[in-house]
Amino acid sequence: MEQVSAKQIPCEELPSLLQSAAAKEVAGFDSVECGNGGVISQTTQPAAAPKETEAVCSHLPAYNEPQDESKHSYSLSISLPTSPSGFHVLQAKQIGSPRTESTQLPPPAAVQLEQPKQGKFHSQPIPAVSIDGKVATMNGKVPDRRVSGGGESQQRDKRFDSFKTWSGRLERQLSNLRGKPQDLESGESSIIEAEDVPAVDRYFDALEGPELDTLRVSEVSVLPEDKKWPFLLRFPISSFGMCLGVSSQAILWKTLATSPSTSFLHVSITVNLVLWCVSLALMSTVAFVYLLKIIFYFEAVKREYYHPVRVNFFFAPWIACLFLVQGVPPTVAEKPHNALWYALMAPIFCLELKIYGQWMSGGQRRLSKVANPSNHLSIVGNFVGALVGASMGLKEGPIFFFAIGLAHYTVLFVTLYQRLPTNETLPKELHPVFFLFVAAPSVACMAWAAIKGDFDYGSRIAYFIALFLYVSLAVRINFFRGFRFSLAWWAYTFPMTGFSIATIKYSMEVTNALTQTLSVGFSVISTFTVSALFITTIIHAFVLHDLFPNDIPIAITQKRPKFSKFIAHLRSLSSDMEAAISKDSLEI
Amino acid sequence: MDQIRLQILTTATVATASENVLLSKFSMLTRFHAGFFRISLSLCGQVLLWKTLSEPRAAAAAVVDEPANALLRRLPPAASVLVWSLAFVTLVVLCLLYAARCLFCFRSVRAEIRHRVGMNYLFAPWISWLLLLQSAPFLQPDTSCYRLLFMLFSLPILALDVKIYGHWFTGRKQFLAIAANPTSQITVIGNLVGARAAAQMGWRESALCMFAIGISHYLVLFVTLYQRLQGSDSLPATLRPVFFLFFAAPSMASLAWGSICSSFDVSCKMLFFLSLFLFASLISRPALFRKSMRRFSVAWWAYSFPLTVLALAAAEYAQEVKEESADLLMLVLAALSVLVTLALMVFTAIRTGDLLTHDDPFIPEKSPARAAAC
Repeated sequence: MEQVSAKQIPCEELPSLLQSAAAKEVAGFDSVECGNGGVISQTTQPAAAPKETEAVCSHLPAYNEPQDESKHSYSLSISLPTSPSGFHVLQAKQIGSPRTESTQLPPPAAVQLEQPKQGKFHSQPIPAVSIDGKVATMNGKVPDRRVSGGGESQQRDKRFDSFKTWSGRLERQLSNLRGKPQDLESGESSIIEAEDVPAVDRYFDALEGPELDTLRVSEVSVLPEDKKWPFLLRFPISSFGMCLGVSSQAILWKTLATSPSTSFLHVSITVNLVLWCVSLALMSTVAFVYLLKIIFYFEAVKREYYHPVRVNFFFAPWIACLFLVQGVPPTVAEKPHNALWYALMAPIFCLELKIYGQWMSGGQRRLSKVANPSNHLSIVGNFVGALVGASMGLKEGPIFFFAIGLAHYTVLFVTLYQRLPTNETLPKELHPVFFLFVAAPSVACMAWAAIKGDFDYGSRIAYFIALFLYVSLAVRINFFRGFRFSLAWWAYTFPMTGFSIATIKYSMEVTNALTQTLSVGFSVISTFTVSALFITTIIHAFVLHDLFPNDIPIAITQKRPKFSKFIAHLRSLSSDMEAAISKDSLEI
Repeated sequence: MDQIRLQILTTATVATASENVLLSKFSMLTRFHAGFFRISLSLCGQVLLWKTLSEPRAAAAAVVDEPANALLRRLPPAASVLVWSLAFVTLVVLCLLYAARCLFCFRSVRAEIRHRVGMNYLFAPWISWLLLLQSAPFLQPDTSCYRLLFMLFSLPILALDVKIYGHWFTGRKQFLAIAANPTSQITVIGNLVGARAAAQMGWRESALCMFAIGISHYLVLFVTLYQRLQGSDSLPATLRPVFFLFFAAPSMASLAWGSICSSFDVSCKMLFFLSLFLFASLISRPALFRKSMRRFSVAWWAYSFPLTVLALAAAEYAQEVKEESADLLMLVLAALSVLVTLALMVFTAIRTGDLLTHDDPFIPEKSPARAAAC
């Protein structure tokens, strides 16, 4: 933030000035308690300014002169935002008369300090100058936000409070416990209302894209778009897709090593061991981070849960754990305990009751409206559970989940193939999410084989369906272009891996050169895809630093912004302006 | 002159009075609709459940099972005959009432047949008769009387199939996408009950035929109901109890397939598990039924039959998988269905007036037909 520099004022002269200034605190006056905004010296290092200011403040004697009570010095502070898209005009106050005995004060040269405390000013992400500083068109329960300085701030950034657990009270409690008491803001209500979760229609109205992750032009975000949000807030549930991708690879390499039809490859079981350990570590890390998010940003987690696409990713942690159980190296554990299966299937069961129940009877979330390829994740959970349970030797439980999965898969399959006109979430262009189509039949085929004991006609039918879908997508590989990388792509690799494993199992049943070639071929493709994705992830994480961008889809507003067309128009104007400016600067 | 006038007046008054009586009787008939056959469905289902439970079953290893078995065997056969008779009488009365309605209020009946909910309940009397036949204490499945009765009751079901499924398939109005609602599953259940009865008689091909018709339409209906397409009219809140039919259909399918295959194999188990899941899904959403529970109506009887069918399927399952948990499940479900039926009987006895308060639901308000209805 730009700071208008003030004349350097020697320390001895400060006291009288401060006395007059600190006489009366004007409500809503934008100043720090230790001094008038207009008189603090500006140092050459803005970053060190707060400390300098504080040091200066600490030398000041206490006020004890009554006759200057009436003279107030006001200041005009103008803060320009970091990005050219916004303009914040704070309260302009009248300039008080300068005193005679002290040095002529420079005209209103307020330094906007990094630690404003008073005043309720709302940052606006739209390029509109608003005098009263209120956010346009939000609903009544706008969370209290502060304009925070550009540099480091020792005060908590209150703008994200509406997304925190209990609106930030938990964090305050924890900081109090840690011994760093946060100052309670006086002059504002300490009850910050959390915004209600938007209805499902809002998600469809405000977002677009195959994963419903792009904000429409006419919408605004509840949180500032130009600032990087706290890490936990940027950590989506789709990060569990990474665990899915890596743990399914572990199973693939275990099958390659142990299956008789691929024994000619002489794959060592160590690969499985390494991959399994990596996936276990990854799963623990991701689970831990997301647990922190649940503890500290529960409102954000709630919003993710109500997102029509993201809700399916809530199955991903349990599926990944089931993959870990399935892919456990023989050296680590020969036969996992049955209780583990029940423990992992219980959350899947509860989630299913909720989601399938909503399809059947739950108000606005009708399947004809919300069906999208990510729903396959909710179906695959059943088949994976059946597969793992049957491999462990359980009898009735796997059949139970297989039955539920099959019934609901039929419904979903028909609905997605129909591409109903009322369906708003289906991507118009090909997107990696379509690979999820291959997941359900591949895993169902393996599950049925495990339940029945051999790879009979039912499994073969399922396998050939999966093969057809895979080939049908692979020949259209040309159309998978033009998408921004996202972490959710990891979730789309496990169908390929699952299909490769199914091919290996099929080749165990029908062993000939063709099936063996197919097994090797598909395994190579899936490994290659996972490696490529891994490299892309590393690049995005460490080189481009945008692996976790601001999670806009969860920050949509409750109601449509009133001037949405105006906003869209201004946005396009400002983007044109930016383009023009950058062109100019390039030319210069 | 005055005397003549007086006479005319009195005759007129008497005539009006009798007309009023007749009108009130007929108005009762307008308010009686095929949905009342839910009562007979429930009772006949209960009889079948009692009969199945009291049959000597393969000894299960459960401690739970022994006292239950002993209890059920101690019930005198007279009790089951009594229950059967009660169901029989109820069904006969309902059939007579409906026959009267057909005779005197044919307009209402016609409107009912065209209504997307009403048309499905035309299956209900025939299903009840088939269930009663299966649980008859004095008729064995291999007698010619049984076979004759079976044909008598299943031919109307087949005729209704052709009419209603044909309508889905080729009708100009009322497409399945719009007309489908949970009560459409009664048509499927009709076919499945017929299939089971046929299989128990030994007529395997007929059983397979009816099963195939039922299950194929069930597949279409299941998908359509789950999709809840835009434009499909939703059921009125008072009819929410019919959502229980969602798990009646797969239970009945598992029973039918079990009879055809003579064993409760994996497919039967899968259908049973599906119905268990749908049952769990519905009872975990009590808010769905809140509005319909405010006032007693004949729709409440829709709770009983699906629970009975689920208990029957659980009994078959427990017999196949001789495990404690399965026996326990069966007992719990059976107890639940008996309790619900008893509660409904009590409610009906206390609030008989409530059953017939609503006007004919099938003729729309303010139509000339309603004014002209008997």
